[in-house]
Amino acid sequence: MLKNFCKNPKLGSEDTDPETATRMIILGPKANVSETEIVHHMHLLELPITIKHTCYGAMVSGKEKDVLEAIKEVRKLDPNNIFTKDRGFPPGDPRRCRGHRLGPREGYHQMESEFKLLGDVSDALSNPTKVSIEKNKPICYDDFKDVLKECSKDKK
Amino acid sequence: MVNVAIYPPNSLILADLIERKGHNALALQKEVRKKVTDPEIDSPPMNLTEEDPIKGLKYAAIEVPSGVRGRMSIIGPIIDEADAAILVDDAPFGFGCVGCARTNELATFLLRTKGMPVLEINYPTSRDETFDMVNKINEFLDSLEEKEDN
Repeated sequence: MLKNFCKNPKLGSEDTDPETATRMIILGPKANVSETEIVHHMHLLELPITIKHTCYGAMVSGKEKDVLEAIKEVRKLDPNNIFTKDRGFPPGDPRRCRGHRLGPREGYHQMESEFKLLGDVSDALSNPTKVSIEKNKPICYDDFKDVLKECSKDKK
Repeated sequence: MVNVAIYPPNSLILADLIERKGHNALALQKEVRKKVTDPEIDSPPMNLTEEDPIKGLKYAAIEVPSGVRGRMSIIGPIIDEADAAILVDDAPFGFGCVGCARTNELATFLLRTKGMPVLEINYPTSRDETFDMVNKINEFLDSLEEKEDN
């Protein structure tokens, strides 16, 4: 545990800039594109962003406007199978990057768990159906009294 | 564009679905980023400052454990900023975790009682339930758009 303790992470000026955003691009299990393809596609956009090729997809860091532009373009490759999320720590931060830690970073386990749902989520996005959202209403007094009566009968 | 709070606050699926519809997902990571890249915090990774539990007093009383107040100093501003919320009940740790059950209770209570549109769904345990969850979230987000237009 102590070996994972990093007292003074040396962050670059870009990493400490409040306008910088980092996003993770995660490919679903049924994706029709590979990690390499999305990384190449983002390089071709020639935006001033840092792109990291990862096992789950890619990580992009740069000015928020540029990062969102890159994500918008890359989503077009396979809209229902490319997922993105914000990341708090900059790429390669020694407090999180597995290259500096003993074992995987903490968020990896969460991603692994959510990855199991991504296949069904992308299928649901591909086949949208109309549903109605029922609002929960408070139980009326008479019904509540009946429930209490039933509960007291069960106890007896 | 509507600011939509999510709970669990760091869920990939919820944040992604919200952004697909053009809304702003109030995810925890954006708040965490302010903490981890601030050069004024000089003892990372222990980036909870003594100011944070004091900020948390806005949301939780002094008797509440400092862990809850410290967490609320990060989650509280998200709740204040929210115009709508999506809550997933009974989600496992892997769907997004704050690491404190009492903070979960307090945050969901504050979201429910804020008087904004809230969608509350159960964590899906089957393929059909996942389809239902995604469709309900999309329907809810579309209804927010209509309200905004009106």
